[in-house]
Amino acid sequence: MSLEVRAVVARATRGVVPLWPLSSFIAVNPLGAREAEPFATAASFRPREAFLADYAAGRITDADLITAATEASPELLGGGEVAIDGITWSPAALVAHELIMTGAGWPTPKRSSTKPDLVNELVAKWLGAYLDPRSPWPMPDRSRGLWSAWSAMASYDPQLPRVARRRIRSLPAFADEALSHALAGLGLIDHESERALREEAEQLPGWVAHIKWRAAHVGDIDMTTYLAIRMTLRWVLERGATKEAPPLKFDQASPWQRADALIEAMTSVQATPALTASVVRILALHPAHLHPSTWQSAYEGHYRASLGAELRNATENPYASEIQVVMCIDPRSEGMRRHLEIDPQIETLGFAGFFGVPMRFTSHQARGSIDALPALIAARHLVTEVPSDPIAAANRVRTLRVRDAFAAGIHASETAPAAPFALAESVGWFLGLGTLVRTLAPNVAQFFRGLRERAVSVVDSEVTIADAFALEERAAFAETGIRMMGLSDCSPLVVLVGHGSTSTNNLYQSALDCGACGGNPGAANARAAAAIFNDVEVRQMLRTRGIDIAGETHFVAAEHNTVSDRVEILDRHLIPRTLSEYLRAFEAAAAKAADLLVLERARLLPGAHHRSVKRLRQRAYDWAEVYPELGLAGNAAMIIGPREMTRGSDLGRRVFLHSYRPELDPDGLALETIMTAPLVVAQWINHQYYFSTVDKMHWGAGTKTIHNAIGTIGVLAGQTGDLQLGLPLQSVAVGGRDIHEPQRLIVLIQAPVDRVGAIISRNQVLRNLFDNDWISLSARDDDHGTWHRYGPYGWTPDTHLEPARTGEQ
Amino acid sequence: MEALTKMTRIEIVISGRDAPPIRELITSAGATGYTAVSGVSGLGHHGPHSGALLFNEYDTLTMLITVLPPEKAPALIAAVRHLLEDGPGVIFVADTYVSRPEYFE
Repeated sequence: MSLEVRAVVARATRGVVPLWPLSSFIAVNPLGAREAEPFATAASFRPREAFLADYAAGRITDADLITAATEASPELLGGGEVAIDGITWSPAALVAHELIMTGAGWPTPKRSSTKPDLVNELVAKWLGAYLDPRSPWPMPDRSRGLWSAWSAMASYDPQLPRVARRRIRSLPAFADEALSHALAGLGLIDHESERALREEAEQLPGWVAHIKWRAAHVGDIDMTTYLAIRMTLRWVLERGATKEAPPLKFDQASPWQRADALIEAMTSVQATPALTASVVRILALHPAHLHPSTWQSAYEGHYRASLGAELRNATENPYASEIQVVMCIDPRSEGMRRHLEIDPQIETLGFAGFFGVPMRFTSHQARGSIDALPALIAARHLVTEVPSDPIAAANRVRTLRVRDAFAAGIHASETAPAAPFALAESVGWFLGLGTLVRTLAPNVAQFFRGLRERAVSVVDSEVTIADAFALEERAAFAETGIRMMGLSDCSPLVVLVGHGSTSTNNLYQSALDCGACGGNPGAANARAAAAIFNDVEVRQMLRTRGIDIAGETHFVAAEHNTVSDRVEILDRHLIPRTLSEYLRAFEAAAAKAADLLVLERARLLPGAHHRSVKRLRQRAYDWAEVYPELGLAGNAAMIIGPREMTRGSDLGRRVFLHSYRPELDPDGLALETIMTAPLVVAQWINHQYYFSTVDKMHWGAGTKTIHNAIGTIGVLAGQTGDLQLGLPLQSVAVGGRDIHEPQRLIVLIQAPVDRVGAIISRNQVLRNLFDNDWISLSARDDDHGTWHRYGPYGWTPDTHLEPARTGEQ
Repeated sequence: MEALTKMTRIEIVISGRDAPPIRELITSAGATGYTAVSGVSGLGHHGPHSGALLFNEYDTLTMLITVLPPEKAPALIAAVRHLLEDGPGVIFVADTYVSRPEYFE
């Protein structure tokens, strides 16, 4: 019975997408388990009113709607025209007009239930107690697992009636047996139990998603135990299982009803049966359930056309390429790359921010480690760092530990039952002064923080790549990196720039760090990659594989701070003096680019316009600032190809840019790696932003201003309840105005189209994403080729990117 | 073969992202271990599947192989079949023989 019930639990929760902890926030597609279904039917959309407002504002045009309708139903191209009130309508134009005039196909608004559920309240309370690593009162018997700990404590829970507590005392010893017992007690058998468990799992979607992650990565909780507790509570409280939620109701009028409604909206004259029949024939080609997705496609098509126009602005101005700068594919890098390239001696490239070096990293002064790699793979290599002066390093660590102990002591005194009174009497005034300074003058607070940091000398160190990776592995990583980013003819100075973000009092800090580095800053990966590329033995091995990195070329690690836009050079002590001139030139260009980029970003940052660069950078240290930066808001496309495609274009920090040169990838393996890893991660980020915007209450985390953290697990909106899913409101909107345009990722690849098609055909994940329209793809063979769009009928000319061809359709 | 002990070998091929519940079933069934082969390639019901991907273990196919005593196998087979009933993934079951049965009991 226990295996059977575990299988039922697994079936009931297979649609749940894991929620990573807050400490390493990973953007995911919350509907990732439904990628095998068409986006049009699986996803949710913005309300119709939002699309109509965009139509009124010109953000969506009639032409966009006509094109989108034709893409959704190509049969419209072959239909006959119809005349209404003396105006002749093509089938696609009539369908577009229906989209504007009627609400057919849209869901009726849900009525949210506000009735509190005691089971939710109890379960959230006990989960918080069990999982919170900093709980003031640790849960007794925690080491025996959730089921034992909960069943022991729940029998004393005063929120439960006496009868329920008595029942809990006689529960089975194991969760799976208890779940079977509770299901039987509730009268649920066979398929009813799976349905009931699915409904139950949907009650607290945030906790369930985190349990799914935790079961696979930590192992101190599992879904069977969670549902056993829920079902047991339902049974002991005699509440019965959760009722199946009614499906969303859609306005699914028949084509005849739609035709009547449309004709009535278009003319006051009574329609003839022949006219009605003609309109019905046209509308039937575009079913009502496609209406929301056609609006969405029109919305995206408009941007697609503007992207195509911007790409035609790419310049072919020569550049000297004396300094090569490799930055993350993150859209925020696009702005920095554009401004850096004002200097004609700088060439920039884009590569996933972990620079092809997946690793677990432990700093010499840290207590723990970070998994600095994409969430798609598991960490297998531990990289540490060796300080150049062990004695100085030991002194530094000792000083930092004393400070940590002091801070932990203050925190413990704040949370212990009686200590806050003594704390207030002893150091309250001092701490109060600090609070006042941090609130009223964050720059002064940061000045003192800087003094404190400078009081402890920084020790130079070096990452230990030789211990973590065998020579063959190091050479393989280097070769893969070079082929993936199309790095040829290395300059004397190649700067690998990871990125991280700085903000204060921001629970979603890691959401602003590098997604390719597992929600961590990218400095460690940049340092490790630079060490690998500078390794003499690696270069020798690369030479045997046809890749020649000149002896005078040196790779330097750096980190781009996405709040200040400053670029900090790392491991300076390892840089040869011969590169001083190049390094000075790069730092000068980076400083200019940083100021330009901060001012550019200020145009969209709430409350930042016309502020000085200094004030804008102070946001990083202001603990009341909920908009330190806008992260990846606006992300809409990904371009895989050489920089010549985009150099000189202003892509508005909305595009993931991955460099690629087919000539360096004869077998296509590098392109397959790009399409199955960086592209998939970009798609996760894109859909996280999409769903956090279109349904802010369900898929988004709500406003930061009422968030409370549970350790580093996640946040609650208020004191208790469900863990919040997705991105906070401040990542996607300002008040009621969206700052993120929810669009599916538009992927453009410059590579042999046959190669792209072959890669899609042998990878299920890509077939799901492209065949079901979760994202779109266009490709062209080279810079002289024409863009072709991947679709259900193969590759067809992309009319948005190749406007001259529109008339050929 | 006479010196060997008969066991049941179960192989499950499934997407990496769907593997955790299968692994949980295997361990819950009393199997003392399993072998996981990630990056399995081939041609299946839904088309061809590429092999190992360099930076993505989540979306490639994984083969889980376990060997357990015949009396413990039916419950695991039934549970896995139920889990795979209407989704992607296949299960293969065969008799096998082992030299050290105590490793699998």
